[in-house]
Amino acid sequence: MEFYENGERLGFRNIPPVVAELLRQIPRWVDGDCEAAEERLFPAPSGDPDEDTLRDDWKAFVQPELHSLFQSARDTVASDLRGLRENGEEFDLEFPRQHAEAWVSAVNQARLALAARHEFTENELSHPEPLEINSERDFALLQMWVYDEIIWRLVHLLSD
Amino acid sequence: MPRLGWGLNLCAARRLIMAAEIKEAPLAREKESVDVPWNVIAHNDPVNLMSYVTLVFRQIFGFTKEKARAHMLEVHQKGRSVVWSGAREKAEFYVQQLHSRQLLATLERAE
Repeated sequence: MEFYENGERLGFRNIPPVVAELLRQIPRWVDGDCEAAEERLFPAPSGDPDEDTLRDDWKAFVQPELHSLFQSARDTVASDLRGLRENGEEFDLEFPRQHAEAWVSAVNQARLALAARHEFTENELSHPEPLEINSERDFALLQMWVYDEIIWRLVHLLSD
Repeated sequence: MPRLGWGLNLCAARRLIMAAEIKEAPLAREKESVDVPWNVIAHNDPVNLMSYVTLVFRQIFGFTKEKARAHMLEVHQKGRSVVWSGAREKAEFYVQQLHSRQLLATLERAE
């Protein structure tokens, strides 16, 4: 898979079918049915026992905005993903450069949700080894590595 | 993308109403929130990439690349870093901004 920049467009070409499927899943990972993922994506603003009011207000007023912001990023990515097109046995995808922030947000949401669901350790995430896929958890770890690669490239682009 | 901000305004409005409703020692409460500096703490998590955390610090706080990286490393090695200190409302704003980028962040009174 190759990442490229073409003026105001960004893209991936020669995407293997399995990676194309992982891309299609990006917007689906944050679906509200996993408490651990919800807690990670919407953390409390304070751990101080005297800050109950702040935590209540945060839940009532700030978190709905964050929900909306995150949903908007996922919608942008879902829309871009409808442009995935077959190129022989592989796929190509191109999207506007101005969607890069939305992609970073949506892919990171997916990573955080996956990590919370499967309780990946720092060691698992930072020392990737050749992976045998024998379980849903193994597959999720592979997914994390693919998403890491996408984030890394987009962050590199945004950091320039 | 939708803009953030109304939620924090509503938080602040509710606090003002609550302060007005508290008849006893309102000055003490007001003085505390005005005088005490608040820290914004970024916390470590094993999932966010180091390069991403550095980028977020640069974008939100306007840090240089070197300063952002120093804070990122402090978070990674010590588990937390004070990334900003100042007025309570601004601290809440920065925590919200960090949450909007999916970083773990809290505010706490400065020692």
